[in-house]
Amino acid sequence: MQRDIAEVFNAQPHRRQFLQAAGMAALGYSASGWVPQLAHALTADPKRRRHCIVLWMSGGPSQLDTFDLKPGHANGGEFKEIDTSVSGLRFSEHMPRLAAQASQLAILRGLSTKEGDHGRGTYLMRTGHVPGGPVRYPAIGAAVAKELGSDDADLPQYISVAPYQQFNQAAFGAGFLGPRYAPAVVDEQRRANPGEAEAYADLRFGNLVPAGGTNGQVADRVALWREFEGGFLTAHRAAVAQAHETIYQRTLRMMNSSAAGAFDLASEPTKVRDRYGPGVFGQGCLLARRLIEQGVSTVEVNLGDFIGPTSNWDTHQNNFTTVKDLSARLDAGWSALLEDLAERGLLESTTILWMGEFGRTPTINAMGGRDHFPNAWSCVLAGGGIRGGQVYGRTSDDGMTVEDGKVAVGDVLTTLCVALGIDPKQQNISEMGRPIAIAEGEPIQGVLA
Amino acid sequence: MSRTIQKFIALVLCLAPFAGVGATHSQLALAEENAATAAGEAASCDPVAPARPRDSRQMTARIDQLLAADWAAAAIKPPAAADDATFLRRVSLDLVGVVPTVGEVRAFLADRDPQKRARLIDRLLASHLHPDHLATTWRNMMVPRGAGVDEFDAQAGLQNWLQAQFAKNQRYDQLVADLMVASGGSQEGPGLFYTAFDLKPEELAANTSRIFLGVQMECAQCHDHPFDRWTQGDFWSYAAFFARIGRGGDMQMGRGARLVDKETGEVMLPGTGTVVGPRYPRGDTPSRDDTGTRREQLGIWMVSRDNPFVAPAAVNRAWAHLFGRGLVEPVDDLSERNPPSHPEVFRELSAYFIETSFDLRNLVRTLANTQAYQAASVTGEDDPPADAFAWMLVKTLTPEQFYDSLMRSSLSATGISNAPTRQNLGSFDVARQTFVAKMQSPSASRLDYDAGVAQVLLLLNGPEVTSATSRPTSGLLAALDAPVLSDRERVEILFLATLAREPREQELLQSLARLTRAAADNIERSTALGDILWALYNSAEFSLNH
Repeated sequence: MQRDIAEVFNAQPHRRQFLQAAGMAALGYSASGWVPQLAHALTADPKRRRHCIVLWMSGGPSQLDTFDLKPGHANGGEFKEIDTSVSGLRFSEHMPRLAAQASQLAILRGLSTKEGDHGRGTYLMRTGHVPGGPVRYPAIGAAVAKELGSDDADLPQYISVAPYQQFNQAAFGAGFLGPRYAPAVVDEQRRANPGEAEAYADLRFGNLVPAGGTNGQVADRVALWREFEGGFLTAHRAAVAQAHETIYQRTLRMMNSSAAGAFDLASEPTKVRDRYGPGVFGQGCLLARRLIEQGVSTVEVNLGDFIGPTSNWDTHQNNFTTVKDLSARLDAGWSALLEDLAERGLLESTTILWMGEFGRTPTINAMGGRDHFPNAWSCVLAGGGIRGGQVYGRTSDDGMTVEDGKVAVGDVLTTLCVALGIDPKQQNISEMGRPIAIAEGEPIQGVLA
Repeated sequence: MSRTIQKFIALVLCLAPFAGVGATHSQLALAEENAATAAGEAASCDPVAPARPRDSRQMTARIDQLLAADWAAAAIKPPAAADDATFLRRVSLDLVGVVPTVGEVRAFLADRDPQKRARLIDRLLASHLHPDHLATTWRNMMVPRGAGVDEFDAQAGLQNWLQAQFAKNQRYDQLVADLMVASGGSQEGPGLFYTAFDLKPEELAANTSRIFLGVQMECAQCHDHPFDRWTQGDFWSYAAFFARIGRGGDMQMGRGARLVDKETGEVMLPGTGTVVGPRYPRGDTPSRDDTGTRREQLGIWMVSRDNPFVAPAAVNRAWAHLFGRGLVEPVDDLSERNPPSHPEVFRELSAYFIETSFDLRNLVRTLANTQAYQAASVTGEDDPPADAFAWMLVKTLTPEQFYDSLMRSSLSATGISNAPTRQNLGSFDVARQTFVAKMQSPSASRLDYDAGVAQVLLLLNGPEVTSATSRPTSGLLAALDAPVLSDRERVEILFLATLAREPREQELLQSLARLTRAAADNIERSTALGDILWALYNSAEFSLNH
């Protein structure tokens, strides 16, 4: 039976058969049994390139004011619920455009973790492991980019837009996988004038453009470089020298490629840019779409930072004002991203994970805020390989406990891998020589398409 | 300062022999005298020591003899020697962490003394840059990489402390013992080592054993070691030595925290509630007569003559520092299931290190003088295996070596190792640390080049290389304006400054063609020279130590 599945995928891997295979898995074929073959079948087909987008909510978003409202309970707060395009599924009133896209989203309401500190929670959610100990775990984005990415691609295979890394820098790198898989960071060039805060965010990829040089000068330099490089490589066949050559060739190709034009957001019509929203997150989502179109395997976009007057999800006070503002940004950027990917036929091959480092307390504190709460909170999966239009898991009426569908971070990351066609049990070797799986947990079958 | 004077100084720096690294004769003599005394002491108090070579030169010859025997047995052709220029660059990077100056290269190549390599090694070991480079190497090994900007002060504290130990050539065993009992604030010295691991006994146990004993016990933290003899009990009883460290004094945001040894504090076997008392690895428990804190007891055990771990672990690290890989590899995994590639060399060197009173500088001198270390890195068709050490392995430069070499070779205004008279290490160079943070590699092995696109873009287009290759900021380019120089000489200087060798014919022609074309296009000569320099900085040859 397992071989049959692999043959089906090798022959004609399209969505219907993918669904069939997933269905078979749901009927009792264990992840360890079928996943490797599925992953192999998917990666063996060059046309079926998969993409991953992580929407990282820095600060810890309130589940109670976004995707798991508690209307009628004192913990519910002041937001109203609205209907979505999926019957019975309801979101916060401040995410109307996402509500219209609800059929793409699987809301996991039973997430439960143990880290209520920003730094530790950030590390846990982004790597699947508690911080401390000798192993430097890679961020999940780096681990999946290693599996999904291609060495022949013109652009880096893991691009991170304006990450807020101060809570735990170690959670944002490739860890023991090495700089080769570390995210290429697109930073916002912050404007001196705070009054311009609502202008289009100026996102730039560091050092992509030669400093001050003309095209002719770059060509001259590269010609000299090739001469010097070649002389040394002829005499030294050491692996380090070859590795140097390989990554330089790749980087030079990228600088030269038309794909690098993806970073030029100004080439998008104003109407499109406005639809995504002007801030870092909105323009970051637009950039994510452009990068996915160019074949980048993994893109991450951050919402919520702690620099200047911009708001973040750490809403110990004025929770409702802040979450309303952030929800508007989230709603515009994410919904436009879903629309555009779907329109281009890319949503099917792109899996999206929305999460922060923890949730927030159901009880509202004296400052109108909510505090850190890892016990019962939400994350969202969407797009390729995910059965959208559903809620998985349930919290109690007061939001304090998970009553059904409790999942751990490892389960979420495992599910993401499976949706992407990656074998989560695929092992990488740590710097200490220990084999380490990409994700440790059980795939949540009910969420997989 | 006027531009003319600047130019003149730059030119002098660029061309003067031995600018940058210098030791007085008396310093050298003193160092030798110390080493001799130490060796004599060691010999006299070990009556059962077999007749082993005691002198550095004899030990060097002994290593070469043992390696040659192994090569003969494996039908490996003895390696060709590296040429002088290659050797000079290699040993400079390894011992002082930076490429030689143009003046040094010229003087060394012109030197006809058959002993010039040994003299060079002694000179580099006596340079003030040597302890600094060694401290950088050890700090990076001891403290997890990726430390944030706010840890600069603490990093500098550890750097300064290590630098001071290496500068006075503190006995290595004593250095380890001192580290074991270190107190003081995290900014004042080795305290960072403890605070970097949050004073956690299990973290300190895993890391001190890995670093100073060459033993990977951390797998035994949660369960008995799957391959090795270490049990969970071994791990936690070693961790018990660190169970009573606490923070004292006033503590603001974790900075300036003082380390204190408390009267109480225990570790427990995870999940059992069983308290585990201190026990030395595969050895005794401290006796009731032992006084002092637990850390003091551990420190005494570390320096005890029959400690089976400390000397071999250090020897293996020193070997790996020079050769790119240890006699045992991975370098911190000395165990029965992971034997050394050359057991006799390893055993005799470890004994020698003990006999010479744990003299790290002498150990490095002994290794650097071997034919194996001075072998060519150019290989033929049939490479002997890397662990035969029958050719020099090609190593990547550390980010610090790259940055310092960039700064020194371009005679840039900033950059710490560019200032040969730098005495004050009290503060870290933020520009250097920023570059290092972006270039850091997770691999402990310098046989991996694992830079990604972002790192390469930094080298191609980033501020450091841009500044080093631009006329207003590069002292080297300014110096090359001197009218006495021909274009050919200018190109030669660029190669000498970066790669420590003359350009090959084809490289010279290509470079001169660039200058000619620039002249025809009315492009400033310094711009074209900057292009050549840019290509050199981005070459594999510059990025690697070969």
